[in-house]
Amino acid sequence: MAANILDNIDLRKLGELLQQARKKSGMTQADAAKVIDAARTTIVAIEKGDRRLKPNELIKLARAYGRAVSDFVRSSPVTEPFEVQFRAAYQRNEQEEARITPIIERFEELCRNYLELEKIMDAPIPRNYPQEYDVTNMPIEAAAESIAIAERQRLGLGDGPIPMLRDILEQSVGIRVFYLNMPAKYAEIYSYDEQLGGCMAINLGHYEERRRWSMAHGYLHFLAHRRKPVVDFEGQYKRIPESERLAEAFPKYFLMPTSGLLSRFNDMYRTHGKFTPTNLFTLAHYYGVSIEALVYRLEDMELLPSGTWDRLRDRGLKVRKVQQELGLDEIEHRADTLPIHYQHLAIEALEQGLITEGRFANFLGVDRLEARRIAEVLREHSSGMLEESAYLDLRQA
Amino acid sequence: MEIKHSHIVLDACCVLNFRASGHLIEIIQSVPAQVVVTEVVRERELLTLQRLADESNEDTNQFEAAMEKGLLAVTGFNSESEEETFVNYVFELGDDGESATCAIAVHRAWAIATDDKKAISFFQREAPNLQILSTLEVVKHWSEAENVSSATLRSVLTAIRTRGRYIPQRHHSLLGWWEGIMR
Repeated sequence: MAANILDNIDLRKLGELLQQARKKSGMTQADAAKVIDAARTTIVAIEKGDRRLKPNELIKLARAYGRAVSDFVRSSPVTEPFEVQFRAAYQRNEQEEARITPIIERFEELCRNYLELEKIMDAPIPRNYPQEYDVTNMPIEAAAESIAIAERQRLGLGDGPIPMLRDILEQSVGIRVFYLNMPAKYAEIYSYDEQLGGCMAINLGHYEERRRWSMAHGYLHFLAHRRKPVVDFEGQYKRIPESERLAEAFPKYFLMPTSGLLSRFNDMYRTHGKFTPTNLFTLAHYYGVSIEALVYRLEDMELLPSGTWDRLRDRGLKVRKVQQELGLDEIEHRADTLPIHYQHLAIEALEQGLITEGRFANFLGVDRLEARRIAEVLREHSSGMLEESAYLDLRQA
Repeated sequence: MEIKHSHIVLDACCVLNFRASGHLIEIIQSVPAQVVVTEVVRERELLTLQRLADESNEDTNQFEAAMEKGLLAVTGFNSESEEETFVNYVFELGDDGESATCAIAVHRAWAIATDDKKAISFFQREAPNLQILSTLEVVKHWSEAENVSSATLRSVLTAIRTRGRYIPQRHHSLLGWWEGIMR
């Protein structure tokens, strides 16, 4: 074992982490100084990275801040702090900031964990990123539809529905998609970093139809304004910027492409000689979108008279009730907080003895008992595989 | 089971398993050495241990009771060099609990009880002369030393399996023994 790791560690980085942790715990520099029996100026120097810490001081500070020592000395990847990225990303006030900051911090932690797991397993997420689409001076609706068509073609999606959109974005494109609890008015957070690539956090509390819409919305930001972080929530803008209008237009074309929707609408109309509310509900379920989104889309395409949605709403349409009556199950989805690849990397790292059980639990954000339960489930998914054979290259003779 | 050292330090995996067995005190009592847990593990696993107690509707916390009886000693770092080793191990393992367990065992030449694959290989490399025991070795020793009936032993291993969600690894030397009892 090498000599004291604190003699070789990046002191500036350590100082930053300590400062963030202190602030989060609500302690002042004077409070922290008392913990290690030092002057406040010592804490200032430590946080600036100008003074080395003794192991004992680090242990005491970590405990006082309610953190693990591993939060400070683990060799985790260095990425641009999300706080910096998001500083100018959204209109906010103190109240909003207090609500969303912990979610952004958790999102950042999960993204870093993901990268760390990839490094541990030497298995970077495959990236299938297109060039950023240039939309300068293009009319918004035409640009949104043209990008949607190009992306569907690139990803081999044809003109049908996109089941399991989350898996497509994660596995076919290489975007990290987390489902996190957020206040209801927040839909999605999008971020990009050279090392991390595209990352999204989607509001777990929303229905899957809405989450899919938010994912498509975030995906447009990735496609057309890749390096511009976004926090998407209701009532954010007095005047909606063009980039946002494009992101709002994109999901309808991406999730309900004109050619496919037109042909399915016509099939239904021909069969029944009319287009009924039941047809509407079936079609929305087929495309995995909300009734409202589908009606607006059909209105746009002049397949339904404008004002249809308003009339349905005024009649007191109860969407969930009708869906239940029609026997339309919840659309297929995976609502885990963590991407499936992340979970598999974590269990493989544990199985191969590359991380401890405690670290595995940290990666999953649960206690050890829950971590063991999840490990069992993940092992069952690769059932029948012996420990050794799970890592065979099946292409080798 | 012979323990060549005066003390044995339990890591968080073993603490959880023994706690899940419902016979923590009896198992610890049978170990022919002073059983120790680090302050770091106690602090970090307290909530999980409480969850286990809540799930089984137990009034008394066996963990606390074992400490009160002096069967289970809690130890912190005694010197700057232990603290330095701890921080160095944290850098390697990324886990405070395992690092504290290993650091204290290495400095005091104590045995260690763990089922953690990563911790075992790390400990074997850092202190090849020190003994490493597992949950199953300790439970097997208890069952033999106390002449525990096969029904009781099965219920203990089942509790560790279901409440503690512990399954021995494929290459565990006592896998056959465990499977035989659980069959």
